[in-house]
Amino acid sequence: MALSESTRESLETMRKVAIELWWRFFDWLAVVPWKTLVFVSIALIVIGGMLQAAIPFLVFVLASLIIKAVAGGKRRADLTATQAVERAESERLERAAAEAHLEALQAQIEPHFLFNTLASIDQLILTDAPRASRMQQSLIRYLRSAMPRMRDGERPTLGQQVELSHAYLEIMQIRMEDRLRAAFTVPEGLRTAIFPSMMLQTLVENAIKHGLEPKAEGGRVSITAEVAHGQLVVSVCDDGLGFSPKASGGVGLANIRERLKGIYRGRAELVITVPEGGGTCATITVPYEIAAASAPAA
Amino acid sequence: MAGERTPTAVVADDERLMREQIVARLKEAWPELEVVAQAANGREAVAQVRALDPDIVFLDIRMPEMDGIQAAQALAGAAHVVFVTAYDEYAVRAFEQGAVDYLLKPADPERVAVACKRLRERLETKPAPMEELLAQLSRQISGGGGVRPREYLRWVQASVGSSLRMIPTTDVLYFHAEDKYTRVQTEGFEALIRKPVKELLDELDPAEFWQIHRATLVRVDAIGQVTRDLRGRQVVQVKGREEKLEVSRSYSHLFKQM
Repeated sequence: MALSESTRESLETMRKVAIELWWRFFDWLAVVPWKTLVFVSIALIVIGGMLQAAIPFLVFVLASLIIKAVAGGKRRADLTATQAVERAESERLERAAAEAHLEALQAQIEPHFLFNTLASIDQLILTDAPRASRMQQSLIRYLRSAMPRMRDGERPTLGQQVELSHAYLEIMQIRMEDRLRAAFTVPEGLRTAIFPSMMLQTLVENAIKHGLEPKAEGGRVSITAEVAHGQLVVSVCDDGLGFSPKASGGVGLANIRERLKGIYRGRAELVITVPEGGGTCATITVPYEIAAASAPAA
Repeated sequence: MAGERTPTAVVADDERLMREQIVARLKEAWPELEVVAQAANGREAVAQVRALDPDIVFLDIRMPEMDGIQAAQALAGAAHVVFVTAYDEYAVRAFEQGAVDYLLKPADPERVAVACKRLRERLETKPAPMEELLAQLSRQISGGGGVRPREYLRWVQASVGSSLRMIPTTDVLYFHAEDKYTRVQTEGFEALIRKPVKELLDELDPAEFWQIHRATLVRVDAIGQVTRDLRGRQVVQVKGREEKLEVSRSYSHLFKQM
């Protein structure tokens, strides 16, 4: 019993190995160039001749050539398709990992911004208490909307994103005073449109950090949203210092591009342009979708 | 204490509220100190210190035009420097090691009192030299720490239709010289720029783009496969594109194993 069991087992293994070897040979046959195959065939026939077994070798070689001619193309296509599927799968996984990482990043609030804002509130408490209170309210609104939302199934809307950037700009306006002017042109009806989280805020922060804060006289940032050709177009433009072609600080922008690619697969884009008067304009275009009606306002 | 002369100071910060806060706290901690001017950026601070020759200058680190570190470098010991920052990890660590005076925002009254006491003692001596520390900090603040890597071109400016676009080099599949212009090919569109291939070659990251021909720079990641055409020349197939780019003989070593 035991013996026959192990024999059966080893027979089974041999069968598997043989099948495996056959398929390997078949794959090799499918992709090998004809030139090489002819060369190998001739070599085999010669070896066969030397071993006095020319006939079986000849049959084997002929069979190989016929298999390649008949089934090679299809098998080759199968192999390429499998590779393509594998590549697509790994790309999808990479994207998922990148998105998870980005979500963790989102939760980070720049410490420089936070401490400077708290210092300003500290000063205003002594000199202008009502203004201190307003600034603190803005900070609370900003922090609340910057916290990542964990409720699943709820997609971020443009309204939420505008609210976050609005609170941020209110704070920056108190700090930068007449060095910063901000204008929002976002139609009420577009507030329920789906728009990925933190993208608008990244563009607004870039406009302040790289465009207006480093410019002695400051300037203007404008946020606009509109629907054109079935696409939602959201722009952040400033008349600040403008873009340095060697600025490697484009991490935020690179992340937006990656995420757009991950979420919309080529149906969304981020375009950076230089307005005529100088400065920077960043425009995100995504498919226009409305959030499900059940979404509460807060 | 300087009996006959009032000690003077200049306060520099790009935010008025922050300047007012420092001035108010200084008034409490050191009533005799006279703040002779306030500056809204580094360049103003340098000009005021040169014009008014104060004993002390309070410099915010992040300011437009010229940051606090650069301003201190420009002043090179003309006044005792106290740095002010809301949050700069590197700087604070360096200040502590180098015994440089600094204040954190919001300025804590007790910390300000300690700083003022130290300044009073130092007033009679010459400002300590800190060129080395400043040079190191300047690199860290602008470069993010350590040795600053060479800066490569990350964006090309090109006219697309009627607008001037900034195209990230990561989107460019290849650059190809054409008459007076250089063609920039991305997955979605093509654009013309005036920068010649030779200049691009100098400015682009050599690990990102390879020159395969006098007229062609190709993105390494975008190379799909390299084959030989009927005349036996190597050609590069760009991923997702139909056209083939010729590899001239002087660059064929890039694809040696072929």
